[in-house]
Amino acid sequence: MRLKLVLELLDVPGQLLDALNPIGRLGANIVAVIHQRDVKTERGTIPVQITIEGNEETLNTVLKKLEADGIQIMRVDGILRKEKITTIFIGNIVDQDVKDTVNILNQLEGVRVADLDLKMSDHPEHSASKIIIEADYGRKKMITSKIKELGNNKGFLVINEV
Amino acid sequence: MRICIIGFGSVGQGVARVFNMKRNRIKKDYDLDLQIVAVADSEGAVISEDGINPALLLETKQNTGKVSDYPDYGFSGVTGMDLLDTIEYDCLVEVTPTNINDSEPARSHMLKAMNTGKNVVTSNKGPLALGFTELRDTAQTNKVMFKYEASVGGAMPIINFAHETLSGCEIKSIYGILNGTTNYILSRMAKEGSSYNQTLNEAKEMGIAETDPTQDVEGEDAACKVVILANSIMNMNVTYNDVIVKGISQITPKSIQLAKKEGYLIKLIGEVSPDSLEVSPRLVSEGSPFAVEGTLNVATLKTDLADDVTVVGKGAGSIETASAILSDLISISKSMKNI
Repeated sequence: MRLKLVLELLDVPGQLLDALNPIGRLGANIVAVIHQRDVKTERGTIPVQITIEGNEETLNTVLKKLEADGIQIMRVDGILRKEKITTIFIGNIVDQDVKDTVNILNQLEGVRVADLDLKMSDHPEHSASKIIIEADYGRKKMITSKIKELGNNKGFLVINEV
Repeated sequence: MRICIIGFGSVGQGVARVFNMKRNRIKKDYDLDLQIVAVADSEGAVISEDGINPALLLETKQNTGKVSDYPDYGFSGVTGMDLLDTIEYDCLVEVTPTNINDSEPARSHMLKAMNTGKNVVTSNKGPLALGFTELRDTAQTNKVMFKYEASVGGAMPIINFAHETLSGCEIKSIYGILNGTTNYILSRMAKEGSSYNQTLNEAKEMGIAETDPTQDVEGEDAACKVVILANSIMNMNVTYNDVIVKGISQITPKSIQLAKKEGYLIKLIGEVSPDSLEVSPRLVSEGSPFAVEGTLNVATLKTDLADDVTVVGKGAGSIETASAILSDLISISKSMKNI
């Protein structure tokens, strides 16, 4: 059987090779790789389409290995594996708040803070921070309410997606 | 249909203006003669069983500020409640200013009308947000019709739309921009990069925000609408205090910039879903139906059969709101003919 994957790689040398190596080693065939270095996501990562072929067991092992290596698999056969959750906090945000929040979120299963942007203001209470999270598909609701709870506890205005 | 209007501010005057424009047309199309037999404002009333001339009424209000100065038929000091005790009419149009603390005097006006067997049409959010069940049950007990399309989203069709056009569908949730003033402010902030206070002042100068904008900017007005939608469309039994309310006064240009970088806008969204009753600033995608600008209102109804259905329209304005009241009156007239 064949699987079409969309991976998200960091834009640093060797990333593509690191992703492709284990595929062959584990016994799957690489049918196609579409890699356009100049197409980037908002976060500066590069989406790479890879089609692999093998029996079901092999392909499952490959997926597990890629994930264990910290490679983000965004889609499998067009089906979203990961979803992106964006949220904004407004309030008197200090470094410690950001660290705390990121740590708490990263501890949740299947959740990774992918990007963070902090805009400090002359009026401390007007500072704003954007957090982008990648999470296993289907967990958005849980994570959104967790974020709301975290923000409310710290007295921030939390702006979640609709 | 003999109509009694209580409240003659922006919406009440809009109703008179619309009657003036459309009376003949409606008589011809629906065999419905809309006759105003009494109008009360805060100073007094005008009563005429033979009908009040809407144009003259508007002129009087404009010149002296009081409907009781209407030639020959004006009565100074007469209140809305007095009117309902004395006159013969078929339908009350209740358009006094919204009171979200105790919903009076509108609540008493409507209950009185219903208890004496009259139909009621209103744009008044206060009584609906605080005591929807009481009003609906009173209407049912007395077998009168109670319509309130104008209370949510002004001219944007939503309540009758859900009840009639989507009557075969189960409505799972409703998300919407239910306040025009805040949408104007957030749209301008996104476009101009201006601060909240600066934009609020601009909105005040343009007459889009009121001198005391608290009800709008702190989300209270939208929260009233969330309650009305929850009760009337989703059959919940909730009141104003069940809604989590967060306004837009903390939104900064920087937070809007951060959102924009990811392709989002910040909008004040009302959510009615089994999980949550909430008014809060939310991120919406730039290409989504929620990305409407200016004072527009929008609502997406998630249904079981029709998937998502979105309506957009002018959320405020004298004539626009009056258009929803007129539709309710026509719909009452149609139902009465079917009986």
